[in-house]
Amino acid sequence: MSFRPLRRFPSVEIAWQNLGRNRVRTGLATLGIVIGVVAIVSLGMAGAAIQQQANTDLGSLTSDVIVSSGADSDQDGVTDAQVDDIRSVVVDADVVPQKSNATTLTTRSGERARVSVTGVSQADALYETSAGEAPERLRSGALLSADTAAELGLELGDPVEYDGTLYRLRGFIESDDGFGPGGDELVLPLSALSEQEYYDTVTIVAADGDAATAIADTLEAEFNDEDEEILSVQSFASVQEDINSFLGTLNLALLGIGLISLVVASVAILNIMLMSTIERRGEIGVLRAVGIRRGEVLRMILAEAAFLGIIGGVVGVILSLGAGLVLFEVLAGDATLVFGWESSRYLLYGFGFAVFASVVSGLYPAWKAANDPPVEALRG
Amino acid sequence: MAQAVNVIELDGVVKRYRSGRNVVEALKGVDFHARHGEMVTIIGPSGSGKSTMLNLIGLLDTPTEGSVSLDGTDVTDFTGDELTEERRSKLGFVFQAFHLLPMLTAVENVELPSRWDTSVDRRDRAIELLERVGLGDRLDHTPEELSGGQKQRVAIARSLINEPDVVLADEPTGNLDQDTSRTILEELTRLKEEEDVAIVAVTHDEQLLEYTDRVVELVDGRIQS
Repeated sequence: MSFRPLRRFPSVEIAWQNLGRNRVRTGLATLGIVIGVVAIVSLGMAGAAIQQQANTDLGSLTSDVIVSSGADSDQDGVTDAQVDDIRSVVVDADVVPQKSNATTLTTRSGERARVSVTGVSQADALYETSAGEAPERLRSGALLSADTAAELGLELGDPVEYDGTLYRLRGFIESDDGFGPGGDELVLPLSALSEQEYYDTVTIVAADGDAATAIADTLEAEFNDEDEEILSVQSFASVQEDINSFLGTLNLALLGIGLISLVVASVAILNIMLMSTIERRGEIGVLRAVGIRRGEVLRMILAEAAFLGIIGGVVGVILSLGAGLVLFEVLAGDATLVFGWESSRYLLYGFGFAVFASVVSGLYPAWKAANDPPVEALRG
Repeated sequence: MAQAVNVIELDGVVKRYRSGRNVVEALKGVDFHARHGEMVTIIGPSGSGKSTMLNLIGLLDTPTEGSVSLDGTDVTDFTGDELTEERRSKLGFVFQAFHLLPMLTAVENVELPSRWDTSVDRRDRAIELLERVGLGDRLDHTPEELSGGQKQRVAIARSLINEPDVVLADEPTGNLDQDTSRTILEELTRLKEEEDVAIVAVTHDEQLLEYTDRVVELVDGRIQS
């Protein structure tokens, strides 16, 4: 079969025609590359899927800054004045002061559950409800973890008692299956904990991890210096960074495993190209005899190797895309995420590596064939 | 006139090469020439140096001593790449085993030596040459679809694609039966005249001698006069 568009590139055209001569060999060489590409790409994508899933799980935690009383503070908590100071420094994030305690809830039927109590006004900034509502200003009523409510058999509108006062349940807090605060929690208006003079914590809800880090830095600079910690400022963005860095390492390790298979594939290509040039030694000798230049023979063999890489790469990328769709469906629950750059770039890398590895593997056979003296080649 | 000039000339050529620990002297001072439109046949027993001599005439190898001239130019000290350019523009080769590329059609095989010259399209000449060797109806056949004689005619057409000055033929009838050999030799003789090309052949085939203008006998690395 002749491939006319390549007429201007005779080395490439002849290389293309050469590939068709031994289809089994071409197929096997390509299969090696396909396996290598699929290994690299699917392992890379698995890493990306795990990372994406981890980020989703970490969720709001990493965008929160938690402020509490520092070691050198005069008070055992955060004062109203300090909250005002924080509000004046932090402009574009919710500043939510909280008081906390713990209590045991008892139902009429005698069921008991130990819960932590949080007094907060801006309930909606911190909590999502699975039933009922989390009001913007919680003045009366209560929110309870959905799991605790189920355990105790409580429903919306039922009363719970804290410190001798009854509060009606207005909403159930969605249980978070990720990291962060959760578990058994009772949320009450701030007034319920009015006996406590100071706030135990102030949660600042930033837009994302980077904003949280920036806010934490600002607060540190504003309230603390090297010797004195008035406020303890905690940001979990660094946790996310740690996790990301771990996942990055994991990803590299996975890619490394994938690379090994591509290295194996390129050794196979080296072997196959070497065999093929040795087999065609006389033929290449004829080409050299009739005046084909060394560089032209070199390009021809390299083009053959590159074709193996391109064909293997294309097939590998198609198969990997299929594998990626399954991976993302299973790991991240959304197959279409595979088209995001975070994972789709591995298709590009896989293809690039395949072509690169094939051409590198073709270098030695090509060089050897091109520099074989024609007299020797014709004799052998 | 071009006819009067020797297109290829060997002058006092000695060729020695190492074979294991021994140095073998394959050619021991050989003078040789061929002219345009002339067919010269080199004969001699095995090991007499015929192949070595053909390799030197075909610029595939360089002499240890003496000089080689092609078309009036001393090419003795040319580098490998320079010799490649000379072969590309001035020489044609016909081999005993035909050496056609199996995946190419007849016309693609004929065209092959000039394929890398993207400045000229020799397809028309390839077709014309195949028609002249009687294969006008076999243009798109691959070598495995051709008989031995047809393959050698494709090879002859290929050797002429670049309008060479000299065609080197190494046992051109070695793989062919007597009748086929005769047609091939008639073809070669006709093309030699039409293309005004020098043909230097190496053979064991007595039949070839009928068609040749001059015979050179090589024995033990020397030409017998």
